[in-house]
Amino acid sequence: MTATGEQQLSLPDARAYLLERARERGVTLEVYGQRTNATSIRAFDGDVSEFKLSARQGVALRAVVRGAWGHSFSENLSRPALDRALDMAIENAELVAPEPGAGLQNWPPPPALDLYGEGLSGVTVEQKVGVALDLERAAREADPRMTSVPYGGYQDGDVYGTVANTEGLTREDRQLYAMHMIAPLVSENGQNKMGRDWQFTREFTELDPTRTAISAVEKATELLGAQPAPSGTFPALITGDCLAQLLMLYSGMFSGKMVEEGKSPLAGRLGEQVASPLVTLVDDATLPRGLNSRAFDAEGCPSAPLTLIEAGRLTAFLHNAQTAARAGAQSTGHAARQGLQGTVGVAPSNLILSPGGADAAALASGLTGVRLTGVAGGHAGANPITGDFSLQAEGFWLEGGEVAHPLEVFTVAGNILDLLAGIEAVGSELEDTMYGVSAPAVRVAGLAVGGG
Amino acid sequence: MLDQALVAEVLTLARAGGADFSELFVEDSVNTNLRLHQGEVKDAGGGNLFGAGLRLLYGTRVVYAYTNDVTPAGLRDLADQVARARGAAGETDRSGAGGMDFRRVDAQPLYVARQHPLQAAGRDKLALMRRAHGGAAGVGDVKTVDVNYLDRVQRVLVANSEGLWAEDERVWSRLSVTAIAQDGTLRQTGFYGPGAGQGLEFFDEVAPESIGAEAARIANAMLRAGYAPAGKLPVVIGNEFGGVIFHEACGHILETTAVEKNASVFADKLGEKIAHESVSAIDDGTIPGSWGMVTVDDEGMKGERTVLIENGVLKSFMVDRVGSMKTGYARTGSGRRQNYTFAPASRMRSTFIDNGQETPESLIRQVSHGIYARRMGGGSVTPGTGDYNFAVNEAYMIRDGEIAEPLKGASLVGNGAQDLRNIVGVAGDLALGQGMCGSISGSLPTDVGQPHILISEITVGGRA
Repeated sequence: MTATGEQQLSLPDARAYLLERARERGVTLEVYGQRTNATSIRAFDGDVSEFKLSARQGVALRAVVRGAWGHSFSENLSRPALDRALDMAIENAELVAPEPGAGLQNWPPPPALDLYGEGLSGVTVEQKVGVALDLERAAREADPRMTSVPYGGYQDGDVYGTVANTEGLTREDRQLYAMHMIAPLVSENGQNKMGRDWQFTREFTELDPTRTAISAVEKATELLGAQPAPSGTFPALITGDCLAQLLMLYSGMFSGKMVEEGKSPLAGRLGEQVASPLVTLVDDATLPRGLNSRAFDAEGCPSAPLTLIEAGRLTAFLHNAQTAARAGAQSTGHAARQGLQGTVGVAPSNLILSPGGADAAALASGLTGVRLTGVAGGHAGANPITGDFSLQAEGFWLEGGEVAHPLEVFTVAGNILDLLAGIEAVGSELEDTMYGVSAPAVRVAGLAVGGG
Repeated sequence: MLDQALVAEVLTLARAGGADFSELFVEDSVNTNLRLHQGEVKDAGGGNLFGAGLRLLYGTRVVYAYTNDVTPAGLRDLADQVARARGAAGETDRSGAGGMDFRRVDAQPLYVARQHPLQAAGRDKLALMRRAHGGAAGVGDVKTVDVNYLDRVQRVLVANSEGLWAEDERVWSRLSVTAIAQDGTLRQTGFYGPGAGQGLEFFDEVAPESIGAEAARIANAMLRAGYAPAGKLPVVIGNEFGGVIFHEACGHILETTAVEKNASVFADKLGEKIAHESVSAIDDGTIPGSWGMVTVDDEGMKGERTVLIENGVLKSFMVDRVGSMKTGYARTGSGRRQNYTFAPASRMRSTFIDNGQETPESLIRQVSHGIYARRMGGGSVTPGTGDYNFAVNEAYMIRDGEIAEPLKGASLVGNGAQDLRNIVGVAGDLALGQGMCGSISGSLPTDVGQPHILISEITVGGRA
């Protein structure tokens, strides 16, 4: 910790400075850098309640010393702070056990992806404020049972990312996003219900706040008049949004890192049938509109689509360079960092469960049971190591394929692999979600429900 | 951390557009994260979080901006940007510019770390981790052990246009162990992770071996458990981390962040009986060395002990500056934020249900067919509806007043306003457990806590 006031370098200058110092000291070093300029605006009762501007940047370092990795980061880009960060990465490497194959590479060039669009320079502050205000007003006007809009607003970000290493790699990219989300609260006869919707785009002009607001209010009002759920095991229709959320909670089971550490229920099952033959699951970082799209991963390895499950058969795990080396495989371009502070792990980009042949009517046809529209509490109620889940749920009771009534808060329980194996029909419409996972609705033979 | 003249200049510049109030928050944090997998150090990282956030209030409307460029030029630029953010909509300065006469907040640290993490060597931290590993490895059917260590030292300065000047250093240390027991295809995890607002001396009090042993005990106890039943049942919830039920079911909706938006079912219930008379609940920032300790909050106010519920009657909310302006309730030193990238919001500190008259055994004896949730996992709540959920990491059937077979896969769901009335018995073995609480101003260290309690009826999400 230091006094302030030292000159702050730009990210490219900080990157060059660190690589030069590392070369002088004979250290193999990777520099990952990120700079985000972002705006977020919330409206409440017809006025701007919160306006947030941010400019955040920093570097994360990874040094290889005698076959061991050491990590550090710094948001202070003065030369003394960068020197300290380099020292810390080297000291940390000295604590860590060496790993076979630890090293850095100069990867082939990444695919050309436009994740920037027209940019935000032509968008005024008033236009951004307008989105937040329209969103809130449209929600309030949508239904007399509207109580308030506790959560929602506009957000954008202009993100510059860079990865470079002492092996000669230098990569840079720029991404832009503009989005809004809203969670309105409705109330009737003492029952409070919340709905939510959102829109993500790389072009500001595509945002349609009125449509998002009305859809969110409809999702909330549909839930009014809820009745207690029965307890037992019932056939279920799981919406694409809800299935995507479940897949997000268990995406770690495809991670080569979780597999090698014995923390994935899929460990040792490559090539086996692990899901219904109707299930095909793909990870694709190269989609122009994907939430987690990227031309290269956190190590600079180029992105390419990867099939994880093909017709129910497990065909691949996600790897970064290190987990791949230890598994005798090639990196799949899935090295990931959680901001600057974490170490380099493995994570999916955009996961997609491929749509099938059943339209909405065919999926629900004759079904008496649950239509599951959402789950909550996944950070605690979903165990990624065993695949078990027991979660707060939201949904409807169906009689003969028709909605009979919404359900009071209830639970669903099971195991993700049993659920994927039990899929009887896959819907034809893909739903994109805020989790970076897309899925169609599916029908399963039995789901354990806990109600009142 | 910064020169007073510069801070005064920035606070005044920022208000050029007519803001009523300006506040600067400067942070210089250093953290260490270490991970041991199967006894080998797999990850060693950490670093320096460094930046400043500037908040303006126009009435109760908030403009917030932050930057990593904490140089005089960077801060002046930040002030300009903030002042411009409202553009022509800015109002006239109502309180007059005036000179800044800073008053230092007189807050004696509630606790001073004796083995400061910045002075401790990496190998000493590793030694603690190895001891924790030793407490779990090979115990019963435990095959895999992960140990995580973290420490964080956060130095902050809060100054505002009312002349407040507060500096604080916060120290947190935590060790957590995940043990995986395995027998053939059966697999269960056990987790235990105590922490404190202290240095490494905390691990003199709580031996690392005992942390590993507790994680191993849970994993082994649950390995051959059957699935929990589903449906409404009476539940006895264990002490310490069991307090997560109050945190999720009630704590979040007693924060003005929820109350001010009418997004709380308790918004208009002050002075009313909202819980069983055996229930008193407190949110306390003044427990020395606790994980949720707040010497001064992130708005520069001294931490307080706030009685939320007394004998079932709602006594207070948790109130930050903007929450106070919007609701009229006095601030309670509850303005907290994860770091400089967040504007502060009303947040919990150490939140617990206070001791009652019963014993854990007497509560269990009252249940003929129900569940003993001995160790809880995390949970969450939808503030607008009060619907909450949380996971049970270690559970048992209760039959005829006796603890019976172990159960896995239980979660509890309910509605805070309703279930608070169903707490019908409170024991006298209060203890605190440590967690990270995520909300609008980021992820914060908070204690949850309670003695054993009996809930007459709650929805259990099992599958048997």
